[in-house]
Amino acid sequence: MSDFIAQLNDVGHQYEEGPEIFKKVTFDIESGSFYFLTGPSGAGKSSLLKMLYLGLKPTWGSLRLFGEDPLKMKPSSLPFLRQKLGVVFQEFKLLDYLKVIDNVSLPLRVRGIEARQARKHAEELLNWVGLSDALNVYPSILSGGQKQRVAIARAIVTRPQLLLADEPTGNVDDEIALKLLHLFEELNKMGTTVIIATHNQNLLEKSPNPLLIIKEGTIIKTSPQRKSS
Amino acid sequence: MKNRQDLPLTHDIAARFLPIIVGLMVYLGCLCCVFTFFVFDATHSWKKQLTTHVTIEIPRLPSESSDTLQARVLQLLNKTPGIRQAAAVPQRELESLLTSLVGTTSSMDLPSLPVLIDVALTEEEPIDIENLEAHLKNMDAQIQLMDHRAWQAQVLTLIQATIVLTSTLTLLVLLTALIATKFAVRTSLLIHRHVIDILHLIGATDEYIARQFQIHILKQGLVASTLGAALAFLTFWGIMFLLENIGFSFAFKATFFVQAFCVFTLAPFMTSFFMMFFARHTALKGLYT
Repeated sequence: MSDFIAQLNDVGHQYEEGPEIFKKVTFDIESGSFYFLTGPSGAGKSSLLKMLYLGLKPTWGSLRLFGEDPLKMKPSSLPFLRQKLGVVFQEFKLLDYLKVIDNVSLPLRVRGIEARQARKHAEELLNWVGLSDALNVYPSILSGGQKQRVAIARAIVTRPQLLLADEPTGNVDDEIALKLLHLFEELNKMGTTVIIATHNQNLLEKSPNPLLIIKEGTIIKTSPQRKSS
Repeated sequence: MKNRQDLPLTHDIAARFLPIIVGLMVYLGCLCCVFTFFVFDATHSWKKQLTTHVTIEIPRLPSESSDTLQARVLQLLNKTPGIRQAAAVPQRELESLLTSLVGTTSSMDLPSLPVLIDVALTEEEPIDIENLEAHLKNMDAQIQLMDHRAWQAQVLTLIQATIVLTSTLTLLVLLTALIATKFAVRTSLLIHRHVIDILHLIGATDEYIARQFQIHILKQGLVASTLGAALAFLTFWGIMFLLENIGFSFAFKATFFVQAFCVFTLAPFMTSFFMMFFARHTALKGLYT
């Protein structure tokens, strides 16, 4: 089995009759690593994450996830690749007609886990992210920060091999942002590979993890270093 | 519950009309199907009677000659190959037959009515009707042989056409319900595109999403088609009641009631099953494209 969770080789993307998002992006994500994906606004952080969660096809170059080439896979096999991922979307993508607990247990049900057991796992996780009093409410009445935590709980409830988070601290204050960072680090210690797209400088400064910096259509990968806390 | 609904299909405006259409189609389909069985069943027994019986009419002659002629005719019939039994229709039966047709026979001169001989044919050996008729005419030119088979073929063709027509109508009605299901699912797929995208992104397979549609359609189909079948049963019961009151009850046989019962019982399950299958197929096709 490959030691790399993701391998991108000269990957680029251009929207139809639109701008070029990346030119030639090449990097490998080792299993069990923790990266921050950063760069100026509009640099393509979200698009790169979208590519990693198979929401966007590369226009050119090659992409391998968990040792497999998703572009050469049968469409019916892609969900099984996606089941190894957990994604925190920038706009949360919570289902407003489902209660918080059902939103969080949904990825488990999708994987065939019995509903009662799925709810039990979801409840434990919601307690862990501090939302024990919001289990049976609908997401529409939650604050941005609470929605963020629900989205995170939904992404990690399946203990994914790779967690992709798009601006997961965008709607929370610094204190909660740090708590969330610790939560991601805990998950990483348990073996989950984590990539967080953010431009939160405070978060970047307080974390020793390496950076993937998108700049002018390419990626610069930094080494791990301890920053002052 | 494993198969809970993750798509908000119950609140779907597009699918609200579906139970009404399905209920109506099952109602019409059941009645059509029951009518087909009725025509088929009635034709079958009627056909058997017509192909195995002929009637001979002997005119009333001065009393002695009439009896002699009747005896000669019966003698001839008993000797003719292909005839199982021949007997004169009793006077009382003839009277009751006439009463049912014209109301009262008090003003009629019954003894002057012709004698009717009911001839039962064997199914194994064919009868030479033309030869028999020639022999009868030799005995008396006024003797009439009524072979119902002459016009039976045309009537049977008409009845068979009716059966084909009602069967086709039943199938068309079922097809309409299935097409409505297909359109409802396709519309739902479009309405819930964003939710389906989210489900895909969190790892849902097409089969998982299609199952949501098939379960929803199965529930809707069962409720709507059961109501449709129940209403059809009530209509059927009403028609039976009316027919019985106007003296048509003889037309219904026990086998027909069993068939009708099967139609009303099985229609909801069969319709729902086909709808579920169609919903799954449509959803999978829509999700794949």
